[in-house]
Amino acid sequence: MTLAVETENVVKLFGNIRALDGLSFTVSPGEIFGLIGPNGAGKTTALRIISTLLLPTSGTVEVFDIDAANNAGEVRKIIAYLPEEAGAYRNLSGREYLEFMAKFSSRDKNKISGMVKDAAEITGLGERLKDRTKTYSKGMKRRLLVARALMTKPKLAVLDEPTSGLDVLHAYHVREIIKRYVKEHGVTVLLSSHNMLEVEHLCDRVALINKGKIVAEGKPQELKEKFGTANLEEVFAKVVGLA
Amino acid sequence: MLKGFGNFLLKELKELVRDPKIFLGMIIVPAIMFPLLGSIMSYSIQSAQEQAQKATLLVLNNDGGNWSEAFIGNLTSYGVRVFVINDTSPEDVIAHNLLAEYNSTQFIEIPPGFSYNLTRHTQGNLNVNASIEFYGVFSGSSMFESIGSTIIDSLVNQYNRALAPDAVYSEKSSIIKGEIAEGVDPSTLSSLMISQAIAMPITIMILLTYSMQIAATSVAMEKEEKTLETVLTLPMDRFSILMGKLSGSIIIAGVGALAYMVGFNYYMGSFTGMIPSGTSLDLASLGLVPSVFGYFLLGISLFVTLLSALALAVIISAFAEDVRGAQSVVGYIYPLIFIPSLALMYLDINTVPLAFRIILYAIPFSQPVIASKAIIMGDYTTATFGIVYVAAFTLVIMYVASRLFATEKILTAKLRFRGLGLRKRGKAPSEEMQ
Repeated sequence: MTLAVETENVVKLFGNIRALDGLSFTVSPGEIFGLIGPNGAGKTTALRIISTLLLPTSGTVEVFDIDAANNAGEVRKIIAYLPEEAGAYRNLSGREYLEFMAKFSSRDKNKISGMVKDAAEITGLGERLKDRTKTYSKGMKRRLLVARALMTKPKLAVLDEPTSGLDVLHAYHVREIIKRYVKEHGVTVLLSSHNMLEVEHLCDRVALINKGKIVAEGKPQELKEKFGTANLEEVFAKVVGLA
Repeated sequence: MLKGFGNFLLKELKELVRDPKIFLGMIIVPAIMFPLLGSIMSYSIQSAQEQAQKATLLVLNNDGGNWSEAFIGNLTSYGVRVFVINDTSPEDVIAHNLLAEYNSTQFIEIPPGFSYNLTRHTQGNLNVNASIEFYGVFSGSSMFESIGSTIIDSLVNQYNRALAPDAVYSEKSSIIKGEIAEGVDPSTLSSLMISQAIAMPITIMILLTYSMQIAATSVAMEKEEKTLETVLTLPMDRFSILMGKLSGSIIIAGVGALAYMVGFNYYMGSFTGMIPSGTSLDLASLGLVPSVFGYFLLGISLFVTLLSALALAVIISAFAEDVRGAQSVVGYIYPLIFIPSLALMYLDINTVPLAFRIILYAIPFSQPVIASKAIIMGDYTTATFGIVYVAAFTLVIMYVASRLFATEKILTAKLRFRGLGLRKRGKAPSEEMQ
C-alpha cells in the first residue's frame, strides 16, 4: 500500500547538534497525523526534510513513494508546506498573494480563480482580502496562509504549528478549516504542535517526538488507554519519564 | 525551462515598486530632488546676473584726464549705471558711507596718472601701463560678487580692444583620431568631453549600487518576512527564484537610474548660463560619438557587469539575517565600484602607472567605464576584452549563486560580522537539493 509519508531511520546533524536521531514513522493517505513534542524536539526539522527544504544526513524519506531527497521537484508538485513563522508578502493584497501562489499549481485561469475562490472562503476575510497583507493581524495572516496551503488541494499538506500564536477563537477557526478540508477533499495532513491537547482533538493519529526520536505512536485514544492517562500531555510525561 | 519565472518576476516588481523605501528613495526623490536643486541654482545665477546688470557702479575719478573720461564714457556706452565722484579716496568712500548713499556695492578707482600712463603707452612705451582698482563689498558667498567682478574684467578687455585691436591672435585646432579638426579648441573640446565622460561613470555607479541594494534587500526581505521557506517548497525551478530576483532588481534599478539621470541632466543643464560660449561643438561630426556597434558593446558590457554585481549581492545577502544586515554587507563591495568609476572619470587608463592599471582592469566593475571611453575612440578591442573578462567572472558568480539556491544553505547559512572580520556560524550541510 502506498503511504503518504514514510520516514525511515532519519538522522539530521547541524554541526555537532543531532536534530534528528533515527526518526521513523508513517502517515497513511487521508489522515490527519500529528507530530507532537516540546520545543527543540525535532518537529520542524522533520517537517522541513519531508517538505524538501533540508536533506537528511542519513535515512530515507518518501512522500507517496517519491524520494524527497533525490526527487525533490516531484515531491514539491504534490505537497503544500506551511512553516511555523511563515509570512505573506507585505506589499501584495491578500487576493494577490493567493493568486501568486495558485499560479504555481496551474496555468488554467479557471482553475486558478477556483483555487482563489476556495481560499477566500477558507480565510473568511471577505473584503479585507483586497488590503495589503501588512495591514493584517497575526490571526488574519495565519488564516490566509492556511488557506494558501490548502487551496491547491495538495496530496499532502505539511503544517508546522498551524495555530501557533493564535488566540482561542482564531485557533478554533483554523482547526475547523483543516478538519473540513480533509473531509471534503481527501487531503492528507501532517502537522506539528507542542499543544498536545489541541492535537488530541484534531488528529487521527499522533507520534510523540523527543530528542529527535519517536517515543510513542498511535491513535490518541489508544495511547491514553495504553498509558492509563487522561490526556496526551500525561502520556508524553510518562514516556519521557517525567511522571 | 525557468518554470514559474514570469509569475515570480511579476511578484518581485509589485513588491519592489510598492515598497515606499524603494519607490520614494530610489525613483521619486532623485527625479524631483535634482530638478529642484537645478531650478534653485538656475534662479540664483539668473537673479545674480540681473542684480549685477542693474547695479550702480561708483567711479572715483582721481585722474581727471581725457583717457579717464573716455574710459567712463565707454562704461556708460555698455549700459552700466555709473556715478562719478572726483578726488575721493577708497578710504573716504568707506568713511562717509558713500556706497549706501549711491545704492551701490562696488566701485572702481581711476588713480592719478591714468591718462598720463595711457598716453605714454599709446606713444610706444609699451612697458608703461595704466591701471584701475576694483572694490567689491564682500557680503557672504553669493554669486553676485563674482559676477560683478567678471563684468568689470570684460568691460576692461573691451576697452583695451577698442583702444588697440589685437595685432596677434591664435587659432586653435585639435588632432582627433589622427586627423586635424580645424578651429576646434583642444581645451574646449576636452572640457566638453570631460562633462560627457562624467555622465557615464555616474550612471554606471548609480545603476550598480542601486540594483545591488535592491537585490540584497529583496533576498533579505524574503528571510526577514519568513516567505523564503514557503517559496522554496513551491513547484518552480530554484533558478527561477534567482533570476526573478536579479531581473526585478535590474528593472527597478534601471528605472531608478533613469529617474536619477533625468533629474541630474536637468540639474547640470541649469548651469548652461555659466558655461562659456564656444562649447557648442558638434561631437558627431568630429567622430566623437560612439557608433551603433560601440553602443551595442557598451550595452553588453553593462549587462554582464550588472549580472555579476547582482549575483554577488544575492550571494552575500543570503548570508545575512535581515534587511539591515544585508544592506550593510553589500556596502563592502561599493569601494570596488566607486574607486574605479571616480578614477576613470578624469584619468586616461593608458597614462596611469602599470600596477594601478592592472588593478583597474582586474576589477570587473571598471569594465563598463573603460568600455564607454574606449568605444568613443573606436577602440573595440579593449571593450570586447572587458566583456569577455566580465562574462567569465559573471559565469563563476552566477554558478555560485545558483548552487546556493539549489542547496539548503540558502536557508541555513548565516554570517556574524565583527568589525570587518567575518566568522561563519551554524555549519550546514552543502549537499544539493533538487
